[in-house]
Amino acid sequence: MLEKAQLEEVLAIALRHGGDFADIFLEKKKVSAVVCEEDKLERVVSGKDVGAGIRVISGESTSYAYTNDLSLASLKKVAEVVGRGAKGNQQDLQLDLRKAQGTPAFTIKQPPETIPMEEKAELVKKANSAARSLDKRVKQVTVSYADIVQEVTVANSLGVITEDQRTRTRFVVNTVAAEGETIQTGFESMGASMGFELFADYQVEEIATLATKRALLLLEAQPAPSGKMSVVLAGEAGGTMIHEACGHGLEADLAQKGLSVYAGKKGEEVASSVITVVDDGTIPNYYGSYLYDDEGVKAQKNVLIEKGELKEYMHDRLTAKQEKVETTGNGRRESFQCRPIPRMTNTYVAPGDTEPEEIIKQTKKGILVKRMGGGQVNTANGDYMFEVSEGYLIENGEVTRPVRGATLTGNGPETLKLVEMVGNDVGFKIGTCGKDGQGVPVTSGQPTMFIKELIVGGQGGNGENLQPYFKRR
Amino acid sequence: MDILQIARQAVERAQGLGGNAAEAYVLHAAALTVEVNNQAVENLKLAEVSGIGLKTIVDGRLGFAYSSALDPDSLQELVGNSLANAKETSPDEHHVLPKVKGTVEEMDLYDPTIGQISVEEKIEKAKLLERTARDYDQRIKRVRKSSYQDSEYQVALVNSHGLESTHQGNYCGVGAFVLAEDKGEVQTGWSMDLTRKYRQLKAEDVGREAAQKAVAMLGATAVPSQRVTIVLDPYVASNFLDILAPSLTAEAVQKGKSLFQGKIGEQVISTALNIIDDGRLEGGIESSPVDGEGVPTARNVLFSEGRLEKFLYNTYTASKDGVSSTGNGIRSSFKSTADVGTTNFFIQPGIVSPEELLAPVDKGFYITEVMGLHTANPISGDFSLGASGIWIENGQKN
Repeated sequence: MLEKAQLEEVLAIALRHGGDFADIFLEKKKVSAVVCEEDKLERVVSGKDVGAGIRVISGESTSYAYTNDLSLASLKKVAEVVGRGAKGNQQDLQLDLRKAQGTPAFTIKQPPETIPMEEKAELVKKANSAARSLDKRVKQVTVSYADIVQEVTVANSLGVITEDQRTRTRFVVNTVAAEGETIQTGFESMGASMGFELFADYQVEEIATLATKRALLLLEAQPAPSGKMSVVLAGEAGGTMIHEACGHGLEADLAQKGLSVYAGKKGEEVASSVITVVDDGTIPNYYGSYLYDDEGVKAQKNVLIEKGELKEYMHDRLTAKQEKVETTGNGRRESFQCRPIPRMTNTYVAPGDTEPEEIIKQTKKGILVKRMGGGQVNTANGDYMFEVSEGYLIENGEVTRPVRGATLTGNGPETLKLVEMVGNDVGFKIGTCGKDGQGVPVTSGQPTMFIKELIVGGQGGNGENLQPYFKRR
Repeated sequence: MDILQIARQAVERAQGLGGNAAEAYVLHAAALTVEVNNQAVENLKLAEVSGIGLKTIVDGRLGFAYSSALDPDSLQELVGNSLANAKETSPDEHHVLPKVKGTVEEMDLYDPTIGQISVEEKIEKAKLLERTARDYDQRIKRVRKSSYQDSEYQVALVNSHGLESTHQGNYCGVGAFVLAEDKGEVQTGWSMDLTRKYRQLKAEDVGREAAQKAVAMLGATAVPSQRVTIVLDPYVASNFLDILAPSLTAEAVQKGKSLFQGKIGEQVISTALNIIDDGRLEGGIESSPVDGEGVPTARNVLFSEGRLEKFLYNTYTASKDGVSSTGNGIRSSFKSTADVGTTNFFIQPGIVSPEELLAPVDKGFYITEVMGLHTANPISGDFSLGASGIWIENGQKN
């Protein structure tokens, strides 16, 4: 990478024509991936991605430019282009960049680049065999392994330079099972900010079995009923709901633009008193963790909602400046091709003290969600929709039979006000969160939660109080 | 930068180091994005990227590597990685490179105007878009995003069967995302336009449409569950095509992941539907003279009056079925090999006007937005969605 003096020179050029702030983000990323499908090792891929992005903030305007060419000449040119739009007076910035002295909260024991591709391929084959040997109805299995090592250097006009190395490993199994005319799929994944040591803690066969059993279960499941009913989200379901229906609305850029139902509600009651929501980028080895964010700010633990009261939004430098507060270390970017925006890291609902079994026992009629699927939310009004990829009926306090095709629709803040019980367990799931075309690794978690009433959509029909969610004028 | 030369070198080096066959794809692209807020530039982004993807075949095994660094050391590492990766994959006789005969017809994919227009004028376009949206109705309180973007690219493709192909293109677009507010209720609306001709860009239409969509949803209420006729807005209908697309690839069929397996020649959908994938569509954003493997693109009719006519193929899946590639080897970037995918994929217009379509509907639902479409299962075809739109009564939108 570049020398300190060179970075100082580039930043000085970027602010030459004026502007309040400049930073440069340098990235070197290496990935490897192995995919098995059709009982064959179909793809083994290695990739290298390098580049730099330079940003100049001038009042409320941001200019950004990026390139793959990391030579000093190229970066000086990019700095000149990006700085040209800045308003204000000519300035001659004399920088003396100081390196931030943070120490990583955890170490990578087996860096991916030290593991031969053959071993990675072996794991994938193992999971494939485990999934295929489970049942004759298994028609297709896709197993993928991927690792990534991302080296990031951020230097800014405040005189700070940070370095961070992020290693992440992920393993995913998708199973297709069929019987007669019915085709169903099952999915399971795991991932962490870890190297190959991830596989010392977790057996890939287990992941394969979970995915496959889910697909098989759905073959036997009945279509879900539809209508208003109680919903129990199991801790193991993962926190997709809290991430989508609440977390995004607490990102300061959306809130500042009035695009969030949570805008301007700091200090107000926005959820039931059993709800505490935390975003914590410091949890050792979690998939969404880092030492410094993508604008050189140390990751931290932020309590967003405490016992139902809105405490804090997630900020990057820009949104923090506009509100005259400190950034919360949530400025993230997918790559050097993107400017940073406020993003979640590891987001979860804090556990309560009720036993999960007790929550189910108190449910008269409802759906138990053991695994959430995908979803979508309109942050402006909080309306959301999620699919349930593993669900069961609860009748008179007992889990009775599996259901398929269920969806949950509702409104984020309203739903969080309807949570009456929170379990003493917390389950986390990994994911890639998309926003403004940028995907970043995150985890989301929650304990078992009892929601008094939600609209469940299904193909089963004949539910009571049918009122599916759609609008008319 | 001579991208053709880089591609040639990579292929030659791979062959020299034991690759039986090799294919290099090099991309160079530059882009501009402008976002305005309150008639001032909020974000300006200039991009320049390049990269190479190298596929090698050794004893019937496929290796792949990519790099966005194009210096000699990185290229050497790329070739080494691609060949090493080929040692780990399963051998498969269908890993072959296309042999393209004859010359490929050129296509007009480049509008020099886009490059000649100043950045200032492009900023004005985004501002005009924002003003149009805001002026549409006083309930339009905010325009979250009003943007202009353009992009130009050069592609070079070389394979060890002697194929050498280059092409370039560009396009531009505008997009708006607006909020309508009334009595505490907030609704959103958005619209966009992407075109290969700068002069055809319709900033004002896009602003109006986004605003109109948001305002139309104000005062919306829930209706009780019922079975009714639905009419899909063209935008929603094209979204449904996205669910259909994977099932029409030979890859999904060969892997048992398609609903349409074994149904060629059968009447599987409504006779009113003709569905086409046309990689040579004039002015199409996904148009190109050749696909990601250098095979000439084509107009492929997939459903003719509801009858399934064919599936889409790349070179690998075509070899498996003993047919020719349909020119649908699609690369999303230099970071992947060419998988089977769609290009300009659409339902051919019918003969009735949108108004005539509504006329016989006594009671129905005109859907303008669906939620959660990406959760539909492309393998089973199942979906359950949130939907919003306008109620139809006696052939009229209410």
